[in-house]
Amino acid sequence: MTPEPNSSTLRPSWLQALLSLLLPGLGQAVGGALTRGFYILLSVVTLSGLAIFASAQRPRYPDYSLSFHVYLRFLLEAAALVVFLLAIYWLARRYALRSEFGRNAATPAFALFAIIVVAIAAPAMVDTVVTGEAAKKLYALTSLLTAIVVAAIWAWSVYDAAFVRGKERAPNTTPFYLLLIVGILILGTRIVQINPEKAIREYKDTGVILSRIVWPWKVAFDYSESQLVAEAKVQAPCPPDAKPPAVNQPQEGKPWVVVTPTCGNLSKRDSKGKLTYGTQLTIRGGGFVPNKKVHILWENPIGNAFTPRGFGPTDIQTGPDGTFSTKLYIPDVTIPTFAQGPQIHTLRVVQRGAAQFTGKLSKEMKLALQAMLESIMMGLMATAVGIVLSVPLSFLAARNLMNTLHTTTQGFVGGVIGLVGGAYLGKLVGDWLTPMFGGLEKAPILTFSVYVVLVLGLAILAYRLLSRALDSAAERLPAGLSLAIGIAGMALIGAGVGYALGIGYAHGILGITRGAEGALTAAPHTALLGAALGAALGAFWAWRLGTSSKIPIGQMVYAAVRLTLNIGRSIEPLIWAIMGVIWVGPGPFAGFIALTIHSVAALGKLYSEAIESIDPGPIEALQATGATRLQTIVYAVVPQVLPPFTAFTLYRWDINVRMSTIIGLVGGGGIGFLLIQWIHQFQYEQAGLAVWLITITVATLDFVSASIREKMV
Amino acid sequence: MLVVEHLTKVYEDGTVALKDVSFTVEDGEFLVIIGLSGSGKSTLLRCINRLIEPTEGRIIWNGRDITQASENEMRQVRREIGMIFQHFNLVDRSSVLTNVLTGRLGYLPSWWSLINYFPEAEKRRALTALERVGIADKANNRADALSGGQKQRVGIARALMQDPKMILADEPVASLDPVLAHSILGYLEKLNQEQNITVLCSLHYLDLVQRYATKVIGLRDGRLVYEGNRTKIRNITDEEFKHIYGQEAQRLSVGG
Ligand SMILES: Nc1ncnc2c1ncn2[C@@H]1O[C@H](COP(=O)(O)OP(=O)(O)OP(=O)(O)O)[C@@H](O)[C@H]1O
Ligand SMILES: [Mg+2]
Repeated sequence: MTPEPNSSTLRPSWLQALLSLLLPGLGQAVGGALTRGFYILLSVVTLSGLAIFASAQRPRYPDYSLSFHVYLRFLLEAAALVVFLLAIYWLARRYALRSEFGRNAATPAFALFAIIVVAIAAPAMVDTVVTGEAAKKLYALTSLLTAIVVAAIWAWSVYDAAFVRGKERAPNTTPFYLLLIVGILILGTRIVQINPEKAIREYKDTGVILSRIVWPWKVAFDYSESQLVAEAKVQAPCPPDAKPPAVNQPQEGKPWVVVTPTCGNLSKRDSKGKLTYGTQLTIRGGGFVPNKKVHILWENPIGNAFTPRGFGPTDIQTGPDGTFSTKLYIPDVTIPTFAQGPQIHTLRVVQRGAAQFTGKLSKEMKLALQAMLESIMMGLMATAVGIVLSVPLSFLAARNLMNTLHTTTQGFVGGVIGLVGGAYLGKLVGDWLTPMFGGLEKAPILTFSVYVVLVLGLAILAYRLLSRALDSAAERLPAGLSLAIGIAGMALIGAGVGYALGIGYAHGILGITRGAEGALTAAPHTALLGAALGAALGAFWAWRLGTSSKIPIGQMVYAAVRLTLNIGRSIEPLIWAIMGVIWVGPGPFAGFIALTIHSVAALGKLYSEAIESIDPGPIEALQATGATRLQTIVYAVVPQVLPPFTAFTLYRWDINVRMSTIIGLVGGGGIGFLLIQWIHQFQYEQAGLAVWLITITVATLDFVSASIREKMV
Repeated sequence: MLVVEHLTKVYEDGTVALKDVSFTVEDGEFLVIIGLSGSGKSTLLRCINRLIEPTEGRIIWNGRDITQASENEMRQVRREIGMIFQHFNLVDRSSVLTNVLTGRLGYLPSWWSLINYFPEAEKRRALTALERVGIADKANNRADALSGGQKQRVGIARALMQDPKMILADEPVASLDPVLAHSILGYLEKLNQEQNITVLCSLHYLDLVQRYATKVIGLRDGRLVYEGNRTKIRNITDEEFKHIYGQEAQRLSVGG
């Protein structure tokens, strides 16, 4: 705690110090630094609250009252400790350290000393407060360490309050921020459950699995495996009347196995887990490769094979003549409850030959490669479609192009009415036209396109016609009349918007508290009220604007498009993918939809910012020649934005391919889909293959896009 | 004939850039606007073709009040008024030829631009314009590969594509050295004299003003404070000079 040089010349205010001792920050507030006091109090309260919350997270049901009381006691102990440490610091500076160097070294030395003291004292302090059951319920150390930090902040706040005089001449706040950061780190460690001990301990057990993921290449290829198999049937229990299966006979030139007897009792395990052995079988076999292990498997009546461990040897060496013999109790087998009476089991003897590398890719590797291709194409398609959709939007979201667009009130009225009316007209025409070729059911794409063309086309047409017509009418007609048109039109638009908002309010907001029925009864009233309010507001606005004023239509469109883009961008592709899966089902199409939506939003924003940062000179020059808006954009804007557009597109392509590799985790298709399936089935080598393919692809892509970008610049 | 009546421009932030400015320009005049930096010269020129919307006042061009013109009518007006700029305002990444061709856009259908189409006749016209300013050989270079003087000549060629009846020039030589300044102003003077194109030009150096102007107006803080013909500006008194440029001002010359 280094005091500012000039604060030592200032006389401390004991009152303010006392106030801050009672409530941290109060002294500062009284001393004129209101926000400073507020932040101090806020940090003390927040740290304390988090400490109480975080230290109680050990059991399933946290005991907050316990952790609160423990924290309070810790705070008292911590206060004592802090006072003790500060006293030592003060004494050392005052009496022990007379040299300049000593005084300079005092603070770091003290910090080190304080850390050592805390490290030594902490376990003891924990033990005095938290014992027995409580120790199992709390993360006491977190609580204590935070309490020490809070006590230190409190102490600093007392010192600080003594010297606060308004906004100027306040002491250095560095200690406060340092302590705050330490407090947050302590709490963060607990809340994030950072536990290095566990990481080290668990690695011992999972290292094998991890290493399979790290080097999975064995499963990338096919191996031809020769194996010798012989089987014998065993019935359990012995059938009372019918005959048990026949005894096998040794055969020449083929592996064989003979089991006697061919029927007997299963081993049994009672409810306490005690095992009673069943019938012991004598097993002889031959025709196998000499001096090599054979493996015994037991297959239950429904076809599940397992190694009967604990009932006799299961791996037996064959003799020089390729024969072997052993004994085995019939194992305990869980038999489906519906099965009754004697069941036929199979004893199988297997001898594996050496696995032969064939050089062919394994089934899994082929699957993974196929899925990887799917992913890459998904990213490409999403980028391509994203470009097409986001370029037009980006022009609407560029402030420098849109801000200059204005329209008269009358033009605005005509435009909005034209837009809505035209769209409605388009829908009507569509309703009449589309049944002729089958409608949505039989020809969905054709019907949809017809609707889009009709609705958009008529809306734009009516918009242009009506806005022009009303615009020029406003200029020719007497001022009073055109003002009246403007007011009436704006009132109409306001009523429409208010009506929609009213209905939305009833269902969206009232529906939450009153339920769907209540909303339904309320809707007509809120709609009417909304319409009336909207009409009044619209009329008032039109009256204020008058005839000559200009409505910033460009800015309105700009704000709407920007808002949409921002929303689209702030929802992560993975979440869009979940919606895509709900919409079109799992698969690459869902992932494509998700990536496309996010790309449009992200590219739209980047593109529009590129447009905003161009040199306005050429635009001005082209406008001065009498060029239209379209011509100005083509010849003054496009050449300037081409390089940044290309760079942003490459960047997006890069992101999309990356995202496409993991979008399958939520069902979006591609390699991620395979990866998550393999992980769920504990097929770690296969999962490792997927991870490798993803890594290779992303690294390659990185390299490619970086070198393209380099060439471009 | 251009008549400016009581022109006032107040920017959105409240800056009064022009205050009740009135003057008349006869056809074929070479009018020079002088005044300190910030006196409103650029604002005045841009109000005339409504790149900036005037707040009050009328601008009458050949008998028609262009402050009342609709957007479409304004485009018709603009294509008869060429404009050249201090910083040339060329599209750097496009070729010289394309830059010149853009001067013709006001005469061409809008949708042609979608397929980047210009008729051969317009391309020949552009080459002729480039020949007139002496840089036909640079037609296929990128605009940012030119020197300042060459760029301004491209700017003039672009204005020529409009078949202008009037040219607005906002400090066309402020970024150029004295020799180039004379060469560029020489082109403007030639157009002015040979084709009777009215020129409105803002200039900084008094000797250039005296050399080229047939009429001069002076602005100070957005007000018209000086009006004079060729003989008057050539014999400008110290008092008049200080009235335009302020008490501390010194007469500077560009030389040449
Ligand atoms: N877009 C704008 N918004 C607000 N104020 C502006 C804007 N453009 C110019 N002004 C102000 O209007 C006044 C006149 O500016 P103008 O550019 O017309 O002067 P000028 O005579 O051309 O100066 P210069 O010789 O430096 O080019 C200045 O005070 C300037 O700050
Ligand atoms: Mg200027």
